[in-house]
This record gives sequence, structure tokens and C-alpha cells, in this order.
Amino acid sequence: MIKAADDFKTGAVMVIGGGIGGIQAALDLADSGQKVYLLESSPAIGGVMARLDKTFPTNDCSMCILSPKLVEAARHLNIELLTYSDLLSVTGQAGRYRVRVKHKPRYVDADKCTGCGDCELACPVAVPNEYEENTCQRKAIYRPYAQGVPNIFTIEKAGEPPCQQACPASVPVQGYIALIQQGKYAEALAIVREKMVFPAVCGRVCVRFCEGVCTRNQIDSPVDIMHLKRFISDWELEHADEVEEAIEQPGVTREEKIAVIGAGPAGLQAAANLTRQGYAVTVFEALPAPGGMMRYGIPDYRLPKDQLDLEIDIIRKLGVDIRCGVKIGEDITLADLRKDYAGVLLAVGAHVGSKMGLDGEDDTAGVCDGVEFLRNLAHGQSMDIGEKVVVAGGGNAAIDAARTSVRLGKKVTVVYRRTRSEMPADDREVEEAIEEGVEFLFLANPTEILSTPLGGAKKITAVRCQRMKLGKPDESGRRRPVPIEGDTFELQADALIPAIGQKPELTWLGDELKTTRWGTLDVDEKTLATSMEGVFAGGDAVSGPASVIEAIAHGNHASENMHRYLRGQELLPPRESAIPIAYPDLTGRVEPEVQRVDVPMIDLQQRTSTFDEVETGYTAEDVAIEAQRCMQCGICSNCQECVRACKADAIDHSQVATYSDIDVGSIILCPGAELFSKQANFDLGGSRYADVITSMEFERILSASGPTGGHVVRPSDGKVPAKVAFLQCVGSRDISCHNGYCSSVCCMYAVKEAVIAHEHEKRVHPTIFFMDVRAYGKDFDKYCTRAQEEYGVRFERSRVYNIERDEQSGQLVLQYTDAKGQVARENFDMVVQSVGFTAPAELRHLANKLGVRCDEYGFVWTDPDFPLQTSREGIFAAGVAAGPKDIPETVVQSSAAACQAGRLLSEAAGTLTREPEYPPEMDLSAEAPRIGVFVCHCGINIGGVVDVPSVAEYSKSLPGVVHAEENLYTCSQDTQEHIRDVIIEKNLNRVVVASCTPRTHEALFRETLREAGLNPDLFAMTNIRDQCSWAHMNEPEAATAKAMDLLRMVAAKARLLKALHAEKMPVIQKALVIGGGASGMHAAMAIADRGYEVFLVEKEKELGGNLRQVRTGFDGQDYGRLLDECRERLGTFSQINVCTDTTVEEVGGFVGNFKTKLSNGQEIDHGVVVVATGAKAHQPTDYLASDPSVITQLDLHQKLADGETIAAEKPSRIVMIQCVGSRTDEHPWCSRLCCTRAVINAADVKKASPETDVVVLYRDIRTYGSQETHYQRARELGVNFIRFEADAPPVVKRDKAGLVVSITEGIIGQVVDIPADLVVLSTGVEPDVQANDALGKQLKVPVNDEGFFLEAHVKLRPVEFATDGIFLAGLAHSPKNAGESIAQALAAGSRACSILERTEIAAQGAIAECDPDACVACGLCEHLCPYNAITVESQRIGREDKTFAKVNPAICKGCGACVAACRSNALDLRGFTNQQILAEIMEL
Amino acid sequence: MMKTIDGTKLDSQFKYDVAAWPGGENVTMCYSCGTCTAACPASDVNAEFNPRKIIRQVLLGMRAEVLSSPLLWECIQCYACTSQCPQNVKFRDVMRVLREMAVAEGFAPSEMIDQAKQLGTFTIEMRQKLIAQALAGGDACEKTKAKIEKVLE
Repeated sequence: MIKAADDFKTGAVMVIGGGIGGIQAALDLADSGQKVYLLESSPAIGGVMARLDKTFPTNDCSMCILSPKLVEAARHLNIELLTYSDLLSVTGQAGRYRVRVKHKPRYVDADKCTGCGDCELACPVAVPNEYEENTCQRKAIYRPYAQGVPNIFTIEKAGEPPCQQACPASVPVQGYIALIQQGKYAEALAIVREKMVFPAVCGRVCVRFCEGVCTRNQIDSPVDIMHLKRFISDWELEHADEVEEAIEQPGVTREEKIAVIGAGPAGLQAAANLTRQGYAVTVFEALPAPGGMMRYGIPDYRLPKDQLDLEIDIIRKLGVDIRCGVKIGEDITLADLRKDYAGVLLAVGAHVGSKMGLDGEDDTAGVCDGVEFLRNLAHGQSMDIGEKVVVAGGGNAAIDAARTSVRLGKKVTVVYRRTRSEMPADDREVEEAIEEGVEFLFLANPTEILSTPLGGAKKITAVRCQRMKLGKPDESGRRRPVPIEGDTFELQADALIPAIGQKPELTWLGDELKTTRWGTLDVDEKTLATSMEGVFAGGDAVSGPASVIEAIAHGNHASENMHRYLRGQELLPPRESAIPIAYPDLTGRVEPEVQRVDVPMIDLQQRTSTFDEVETGYTAEDVAIEAQRCMQCGICSNCQECVRACKADAIDHSQVATYSDIDVGSIILCPGAELFSKQANFDLGGSRYADVITSMEFERILSASGPTGGHVVRPSDGKVPAKVAFLQCVGSRDISCHNGYCSSVCCMYAVKEAVIAHEHEKRVHPTIFFMDVRAYGKDFDKYCTRAQEEYGVRFERSRVYNIERDEQSGQLVLQYTDAKGQVARENFDMVVQSVGFTAPAELRHLANKLGVRCDEYGFVWTDPDFPLQTSREGIFAAGVAAGPKDIPETVVQSSAAACQAGRLLSEAAGTLTREPEYPPEMDLSAEAPRIGVFVCHCGINIGGVVDVPSVAEYSKSLPGVVHAEENLYTCSQDTQEHIRDVIIEKNLNRVVVASCTPRTHEALFRETLREAGLNPDLFAMTNIRDQCSWAHMNEPEAATAKAMDLLRMVAAKARLLKALHAEKMPVIQKALVIGGGASGMHAAMAIADRGYEVFLVEKEKELGGNLRQVRTGFDGQDYGRLLDECRERLGTFSQINVCTDTTVEEVGGFVGNFKTKLSNGQEIDHGVVVVATGAKAHQPTDYLASDPSVITQLDLHQKLADGETIAAEKPSRIVMIQCVGSRTDEHPWCSRLCCTRAVINAADVKKASPETDVVVLYRDIRTYGSQETHYQRARELGVNFIRFEADAPPVVKRDKAGLVVSITEGIIGQVVDIPADLVVLSTGVEPDVQANDALGKQLKVPVNDEGFFLEAHVKLRPVEFATDGIFLAGLAHSPKNAGESIAQALAAGSRACSILERTEIAAQGAIAECDPDACVACGLCEHLCPYNAITVESQRIGREDKTFAKVNPAICKGCGACVAACRSNALDLRGFTNQQILAEIMEL
Repeated sequence: MMKTIDGTKLDSQFKYDVAAWPGGENVTMCYSCGTCTAACPASDVNAEFNPRKIIRQVLLGMRAEVLSSPLLWECIQCYACTSQCPQNVKFRDVMRVLREMAVAEGFAPSEMIDQAKQLGTFTIEMRQKLIAQALAGGDACEKTKAKIEKVLE
């Protein structure tokens, strides 16, 4: 069976998936000598269970029972949490696997992060919160949930936002928009300036590559990024004083001096960058003022110069030395510069207008190129251009010239040789020019300047134009203008302004540097280096006339390379982003359209008569709306707010993924699955109506920590829904969505949600629409009955066809078939879809990486013959990843998988693990009490009712209390660490926690005390949740007062606490397994495989139990063969002592030290007990059970397996009756396996003899999970199913013709008399009540009302008893099939081994003790002790023999019965002494 | 007092016969959830017409009751039943099968069969005439077109 390919095995296991299953498997393995790596893809462990509100059937808070497990897993010395990590590949073989793991970057240093949450508050980016089912938002820096383990924040980055990608200068657009949203304008400007020093300029005249790629384009129109930027620059101008004051000069830290020629955008950007890097930079500018084209090319009405001046002032303040009026080639030479400066940047721009090549272009008055025209005006030089102005060209410069002329009062015509759609000018500019009265003549080209002599020269009078048409596209992609022969016209003109292009003025250059054929500087395109050493160039001088932002980008690139050149580093090409572009997935996303906010303009009259800025810019209100339109494509916006906020310096945006190779011997796969979601085809209005939600959304609504704080309200209007409908089987039992299986859990969680909803809010009246109630688990039917009877939950057996919204009432109208078979329409306030499980694509990918097979539905396939084994040896699967199941079954399977992995690696156990080390315990015997009090909010569980701050404050006034504080979650990992620190820092010697129940949390707090060097018994806890906030939910003041009372009491007790020292007792490393059926045998072998001796006791003569009767399993297992193999293998174990025909007569002792007397006279010592006593089949007396033609389902199964003809004569009709001995008053439980057995038998009959009619009479078909496929198969083969009500069961009669079964057919509404040749009764499972009672008493473990054994906790401790060292498996626990029994047996084996692994265990400290001097040896206590822990005996004390009550510390459970009974007050209970209890009472 | 169905009279072959027809294949897959009935506009008008019940009758083998029922002809073939069926029963097609069977097995009322035949013949004749007129062209064609347009209005 289990063997490795090689002798050497790695004593470590990788558990994939950090849900409850993975955690359980990890804990089991780590407790039995295996090093565990717990791999979780998300940032925190906890899985689905962490999101549930309550759990059925006990209604425990899911988080409350899970949280201690999370903390235990995180604190376990031998469990290494690998959160936010993914499996990449697996190599090797069983026993020796090597797993490659990718650790995704959190962008937060896990060692430094304290989980304080300051970053979260500062982060401006809100995204849908998947933990809350997207019902609310979280930040881009987040932890999935408050109690999340590990308590570390994570930044979610989807990639670089498209806007930032598109921006030549890489300006973090999303980042500054996010900051603008928050009103953090100075911070927004700061991150802009890191990339680009001209926000005011680019906020006005940018060509906006960013807006072109804005994701918002796909919805309505792009975010007006430019004007958002302009808004902050306007704000800056208003706050210029503060801004300038805040500028920090970087100072000159480097020797090398740098010269920049040209104070345009490229030059100044580079200068600023280099100054910030510590260089001394001098900028030489030929023109009288800095700014280049920003000053001399862009008119005032687009860019007021006070804005530009401010930005240049800021650059100067940085330390950049700008010298104007210095012309290169005249005042300085390149050669001089190269001598004095280590680096030179040529950024001289393109200030020479291109010529049209017309006669008289240079010497006719009134002809002036656009660049010169605008520059002259900027200088303040007036020009005589008459009245009529013709502008030639279609670019922005042409429009600038035209609109400027309008403002000078001229009549302006723009002549352009193509059409408007080919114009390179900004469309909006053209639009505004037309508004201002500029006329456009398209498809026309000036060919001749007509002039009249003027003085010695000539003056323009008109322009002759050639009409054009569009020809074939040229290399620019635009259609080439072609002259129309002979078609010319004259245009009257006092001035002609050609604006057809610009180039740099490079006449000074000589032949030192090369130029291109376009007259620009020739540089290495990749590095911007010229052919001359140390000389770089950028801006329009290199690119020809381009945009400001492109010039800035050149400035950035050139300065970076100049720096690299000076540092001797390799020069780089333009920025290369390793980060992918983030395109948000818009499929299925409903994003409302929001109109782009228009930018206000001054009125037309003012526009055409002044140079006032046309656009007045956004108001703060406009900005608030416009900024919100950003879709936050990159998620994290790179705004750096978290970096500023983090006091621990933990944020690291530069983190990258890391990889590791991990050696393990085995792998356990329990990553869970997904819930069926709304976007799939079974929709029923789910995506249309806000009040149709999924069950997980409803869980979050019910949860105290959820978006509504546990208030049951509907999403659309926040009102309490009076009528709530639950729709079952959404995404389950539905072949139209390819999920033919039953999801196993939805029926029960829906009933639970209905009950809890009604409990939270009495006005809520739930209705559950279902097909079959699948309450097949232990106590599930009882829970459903209670839901109906006590909570008024209505069950409506119908599948809803449609949901529509009634617009008037706002209610949802459900259309379904009512009990009478008629179409019904009923209004509900809210609808909850009970969504099932579905195997996500990621599961298949993971399975592929692991090389394991998936089943037809995509769940991981496991071998029916070899529980939990996947298709690859040494890799096991458990939980929902291996098929739908609930929490207890997941926990059972996980323990079982741990068992299998542990067996495989048993010889390597302990090779890689470590032992815990605690600091030495402080001796506090002489110290006065110094109590620390920790009061828990428990989210709003307590804090929502009790005034926790006041309680904490109050406790400071109590005697002995030296420290008191409130915690949001006292149990969270960070608080544990905090408590440990406080104990040490404040020298505490007693700790009090006021929170929830000690049952779930006391051990955790005690552990914390130990870690701080305090004795764990110096701890006291009071429950202000159950006793105060829950019990007095509607009386917050009284609840608070009571919490104070409880605190006063517990503090009084704490003052009297003493350190207790538990005795350590050896463990007898042997096991007793009671019951030799499938469960018992498997448990025995599981334990023996780890090398421990086992006594297997069976009351029958033969091993095998019920399995001897069953030939095949539900999944086709050949149980005959498997039983034989099992018995054979059992025989090979020398350490298994099989005692058949034997019962247990007497059990004594305690965990680690049991002593048992068997009926064969043997007395055995052992450390653990596994109870696997099984159950039996119900023996029916009704339904003519004694008739020879009435048999049981098991009989039929055997006959079919034996190939027998079903009846003497060939039967034509078989009628099966379900729930015989199940779900009745005497046997109120569901026997779980009869439905599946019946449908399999029915199908088998049909396969063997298709002409036989098979009718199954049932109440609910409960073929849960994949067993649904058997039901499907039976119907496919033509088996008929007729339902009956509990109060109208079928009647079996025998008349002359034979057997007749009468049943009321509800759908047709008639009684059907079905003649039957064979009636088959599906008899239930029944415990042996007497035997179980007797064994229960001996073992001191409980048996429930039905006679099944009662486990310690139905959810999380399904195979253990509350009494340590005793475990439970198989039918003795509850009805289940053989496969489930075996899994439970393995789980019990696994848990048992975690005790047997140890050589000694510590007894508990809180036990009874007797004062021999006071004891009168009356013996009352001895008689009373339920654990037989007390014997009255004689012992020599000092010199005399004294007879007194002696307590066995190992057996004593600390129940206190003896103490209460003792007449002489000789007995006392450590940790609960009379004195302590009285002190508590006296405080009240 | 509820009428009792005599099981000996039931025809267990009926469901297989229905399933043997194209469109009837999945009839036995029905698990009686009632979605088809809730969806059915005919049911909505006449509660007697109940798809779930008809399937149940088919499964039980109530051949004569089903095939002779006048309800068989109330289905408007709208597919609403079929659209949301979780077991792909295709009740609309089942109805078509049942009608075919009713005719084939002589359960359908003879006058109705006659009417159907007449209607069929009439439709074919009308088509033929229309085509003939269309091919003829000229005035006849224009007139027909005008007539059809009038009808369509």
C-alpha cells in the first residue's frame, strides 16, 4: 500500500490551502512529528469559514471557533505559513517531493509591519472588498479581515495604469488623481513634480496621451486628467507662499558641473532633475526670459505667464542657476562649455519657422511666420498686420496665430491644404477658434503673395491660393493633398502668417555636431547622446516641433543618462517598464455613466477682445466629481501615501516576487473551491436587482463584522426586509450550468441563515424554496424542524422560475408553482440565492501543476479504494477541492489526509521538527498583585452594546490593577504579542481578559502568559460577550454596568490567583480500538503504521462489522475484496492484537494511562481509546415487513450483487419505500445512506432488467454531493419517483392478486394503487442504545438522545470526545457510508497519534486537593467523584499515619463536585478555591 | 373522495415511447421541481394545464388520459418551460411528441384532425397562389402586394 520509491524520506508535508481543512491537516501533522508548510494564495489563512457568520446546527459564531485555530496554526513552532504564495511546480516522487513556490510581493515588509492600519487609513484608493462579497470597499493596501493571520498588510497592484504608461514622462496620473480625490493637493503636486516640473503648463496645454488610453473611454468619455492637474496648479498659485517655503534645496553634493543650453521644458526638466541629484547646474538661455516655447510660443489666453513664472521660480529655488540673454555661438561656445562643465545638454528648441517657399516670403511687409509672430507679441512688440489676416497651416501654431490675431481685432482666415479631419491641431482649439470667428478654408494652399510697392519695399495685398483635393495616403497615413489644375483664387490679405513648421536654429554649430536632414540635432535615439563626448541633446532641437510633455520626457531621459554617463554607468534606452499595463476587467461590471465635467470658459466677447485665459478651470466641487470618475486601473496608484503614513517604515513599493524550492515528503491538497457566482447563466435577476443577493453576501450581512454590522437590511434601500426568499440549488443539481451534483451544504446553510436572520430581526419572515431538503447530517433534521416550529421558517417545495421587480412597491415578484400546482406570484423584499460550489479553473491549473487528475466537474479526483489518495502517489486531497462537503467532513478528511501523509512518512517523523522553548517561569511568590486588564471590543460583538472604553477605564480603579486597556480583538495575533510585551514592560503578575468565552479562548491567553514567563494559571477571564452584550443586547447601559461588575469580581479573584504546577505523566504509547468493523480496522492500522501497539476489540467472532454485508460502495468500490485485503493486511501487523468475541468490561484511568479489563480476562494498559462500535440496521415491523416479498434494501443489494433473479417469478414491478425507521417519531434522524443505496439498487435493477418497473416512494431524495449522479442515472433509466408526506405514508397490502402499495400522488392529486411483485424497504441505521450507554458510562463520554455518541464539537472536533484521549469514528457517531466511516477512522487515528507521539503529557493544574489535617475521611467525596479520582486511604505524613481523601491528579477533571460536598471543608479546587470564589461574590 | 388510479391499468411503456421520439428523450429526467409549470403562460390562464402534471402522468403510464386530453392542444409552444429546466427535459418538445402520438394513435378528435388538414391544405394553396401571382408580375403582383401590406397594417 503506502511505500516510497526510496528509503530516504523528507519529514515534511506541504499543505496547500489555508482554510479550515488545511489548518486542521497542518496542526495534525505538526503535532505528530512532521514539519509543515502551509501554502495559501491569498494574504491570510482562514478560507471560507472566516467569512461565515454562524455555523449550523449549534449556531456558534464561525469566527469565534476558527480564530483560535488560526492563531494556533500561526504560533505552531513546526508550521511555516507561506501566505500570498503560489505553487509553481512539483518534481520528485512520494516521500521526496520538491516544490517550487512563488512568494508574491506584498510591497510591505512582513517583519516590520505591525498591522496597525495607519497605511489603510491613508490610502486613497478604494476597491471592491472581496471578503465582503464586494458589498463594500476596502483600500488598495489591506488585510482581508480584521482577525486575519498573519496580521500583515498587503498592497494590491494590478500593474501600471494605462494613463501613466501612455504619458511620455511616466507621470503617476492615477496617483495624483487619487490624492486630489482626498483633497491632498500639495501631495498630488509633489508626486507630479517627481516626474515633471511643469504641472501648470501641462495642466493647460498638454496633448494628453493619457486621456486617449483612459479606460473610461470604454464607458463614456475619458477623465479630464489635464484639467484636474490644472486645478492643483491653480491651487498652488493661490498658495504660492507656502509652496515656495516648503521647497527643500537638495544642495550641491557632487563635483561635476553641468551646463544646459536652453531654458525650455526639456532643458529645465533636465536641470531640475540633475540639481535634485546633487549636481551644480547652470542653464543658459538666449531669450530674455526662461520658458522657451512655453513663454514665446504659447499665447497668454492659453497659458498665463504668472503660472509659468511660479513653476520656474520653484525650479530656481531648487538651486538651478538660469542665465538669460546668453546666446550660444555668440556669448559662449560649445568648446568653452565642454571645458568648464562635465556634461552639456543642448535643448535649444525649434524656434525658426519653416518657409513656404513663396516669392517675397522674406521681403514683403505683412508676411511673418507664426513662430516669429507669437514671439514678437510675447516680447511686447506690436506688429502692423492690417485688418485681414491669412494664416497658413493646420497645426496648433497656426491656431495660436489665428486666435491671437482675433484678439488683436483682426479678421482671420486659416488656409489649410487638407480637410479638418486631417488637421494636427487639437480639435477643441479649432472648435474654439471657429467660435471666436476664425474662418477656415480647407483644401487650399497659398501659392503666391500678391503685393503692392511700399516705400522701397512691398506690402502684401492678397494671397493667391490653389484649390486642392485629397489623393492617396502619404507616409504619415494622411491623404496627400493634390492640386486641382487651374483652380485658383485670390484672398484679400493685409498679412500672411505661415505656420507650417519649425526647426532649430543651429547655425552656431559649425561642423562639430551632426544634424539630420530635417535640420535637427543628430543623436543616438536610445540614449540622447550626441556624437560628442559628454554632450547630450533633447527636446524640439532633436525631435522637431513636438509637445511640451515629450520635451519634458526628453529632459528626464537625457538627465538620467547624463547622470549615468558621469557615474560611468551604462546608458539606458527610454524607460522600460517591467510592470504590465493594468487593464481592468470590465466584463460583467456595471459601471454607471458619469458625464465628464465641462471646464467653464469666459464669455465670447471677453475671449475675442482680451488675452485673458479662456478656460477658467475647475472648482473644487467640479474636481470632486471629475476625480471620482477615475477607475483606478492599477489598483495601487503609487501615490506614496502609505509610505508617508507608515511609522514602522514597512512599505516597500520596489518589492518583487521571490521564489523558493521546498523539500517535502508528501503534499495535501485542500485549496477549497469557489461559490457559484451570479454572472453564470442561472441568473434569475441576480445581476439585475440589488436585492437579489448570494448566500455569501447574506452571510456578510448577518455577520457582526460585516458591511451592515449584522443588521438585516436589504441592499437597495437599507430597510429591514419583511419577507426574505431563499432559492435553493442555484448552481447545483442543474445540468444547464454543468453542475449536475448537489453542493451538499446549501440546504442547511439556508435554514441556518433563515433562522439567524429571524433571530436578528423578528420582522424577517423567511421562506425557503427548495426541491428536497437535504438535512442528511447528524441532528440536521431536528434543526430544520426547529426552524419551522420555533422560528416560523416557511418551506415551499418549488423551484422559482423567474424574478421581476415590481416598480411600484420595489418588491421582487417571484413566480413559482404552488402546492396546488398552480402558477403563483408572490412578493418578497429580498431574495437570497443559495449558491453551490463550483470547481474554479485555478483548481484545474493547480491539479495540472501537481500532476493529479480532476473529475468530470473539475474537482480533484480521489481514489474510492484508497481514501483521499489522488492520482499521484503521496499527494492527498481533502475538503471541498475533492467535492462539495461541509465543515465537519472537511475537518475529518483533512485529519484523515494528515493521517495518510503521516503514515507515508512515519520513519521520517521528528527529523525536521523543533520543540517549543519557553522562558523560565518568574517566581512571583513574594510579590504583591500587579494586574493587567484587557477588555475586548470583539469587533462590535461586545463593543456595539457595552461601552468598552468606560469598562477599561473603570478597571483602572480596581485594587491591584496597574494596567488596563481596550482591544478591538483581544484574541488577534498582534494583541497577543502586545499583551506579552505589556506583561514584560509593566511587570504584570496577573492578567485578566474580559472578552468572550473561556471555552474557546482561555488556552490561547494562557499560552501568551507562558511565553511572557508567567505561570499560565495567573490568568482569569470574564465573559462580557455572552453575559453582557448578548444577554442584554437592547440595554447597553445595563450591559455596561454588568460588565463593570464582572470585571470587579474577576479582578478580586485575580488578586488571589496562585501559580499552579501541573504534574507530568508518562504516556503509554498504545491504543485500544473498540469495534472491529471498517472504522475500527482502519483506525487500528493507521495507528499501527506509525509504530504503536494497538488492541483491536471486536464483540463478534469475525472482523468486518457491517461491511461484511455490503458488496459494493457508492463509488463502485468492491467491498468484498477490500475487506479481504484489509483483514489480510491487518494480520501482517505484529503490533495489532486482535481480540474477537470480546467486549470491554471495565475502563479506568485517563489520557495516556488507561487500564482496561476485557471480557476475555485480559487487562491492558493503553494511552488512547478509539470508539468505533458501529450501529445496526433497523429491523422493520411495519409495511408487511414479514411478507416474503417484502425485503430490505440491503437484501436487494446482496441479491443484485450475487446476480440473483430478483423474485421467483420475473417481477414486473418493484416498489421501494424510503425512510423506514428514519425521520419517524421513534427515530427522528436521517439515516443518510438509504437514498443513495436505493437509487443505485433501482438503477441496477433497471440495468439488469429494463422492462421491470421500479418506483421509489420517498420524502426527500438526499443524494448529496456527487451521489446526485446516481439519482440522475436512475431517472435516466426510467425509475419513477413518487413523493409522500410524513402524515400520509404508503400502505402495503396483500390481496388476492398480490402485493399492492397505495400512495397519494401529490402532483396528480390521486391515490395510486401500485401492484408490486417486490416491495423493498429502505431501512435506516440504528445505534445499539444499550451498548452505547453502557460503554459511554465506562468511558465517561456522552451519548445523545438518539443513542449515538456525542463528539466534542460538531464542527471542529468531529472525531474527539470532550474527554481527552478518547476518539470516535464510524456509525457509532452517526449514520454514514463506508467511505465516510473510513475517513473518520483515519482522522481519529491521526488525532490519536498526536497524543501517542508524546512520551509524557502534563495534567491540568486546576484540580481538587485535600487538606489532610481537615479531612475526616468520611468518604463522601470518594463516592461522589464521577471520574473515580478520589480514594480515601491511609498515608504516613510526618510521623503519623493519616487517613484522608487522596486525589489522583491525572484523573481529576476539576469538576468540583467533591469540594461542594465536603462537610469539613478539607477539599478545595485549585484555580477555583473557595476563597477566590467568595472574594468574587463579596465584590458583587 | 379522491379517485384512485388502478396501477394495473398503467402503461409503463408509455414514457419510453415518448422518449423514443425526437424531443422526448429527457422526459424521464424530470425531478418534479415545477419550474416548467411556473413558467407556463398557458398554465397561468388555465390552471388545468399543468406541465409538471402532464410529465408525471407520462411517467406513471397514463397513456389514454394524456393522449386523449383536450389540454394537449393548449400548449402555445413558447419554450418558456424549456428555457429554465434544470434537467433539460424540453417540455415544449414533449408536448409536440404527445400531439404527434395522439394523432398517430387515434386519440385526437377527428374533427380537429380534419380542421388541421384543411388548414394545412389551405395554407399550401395560398402559398402557391401567391407565388404564381408574384411570378406573373405586373398589376396582379402590385395588387397582391397592396393587399398583403394592408393585412400587415
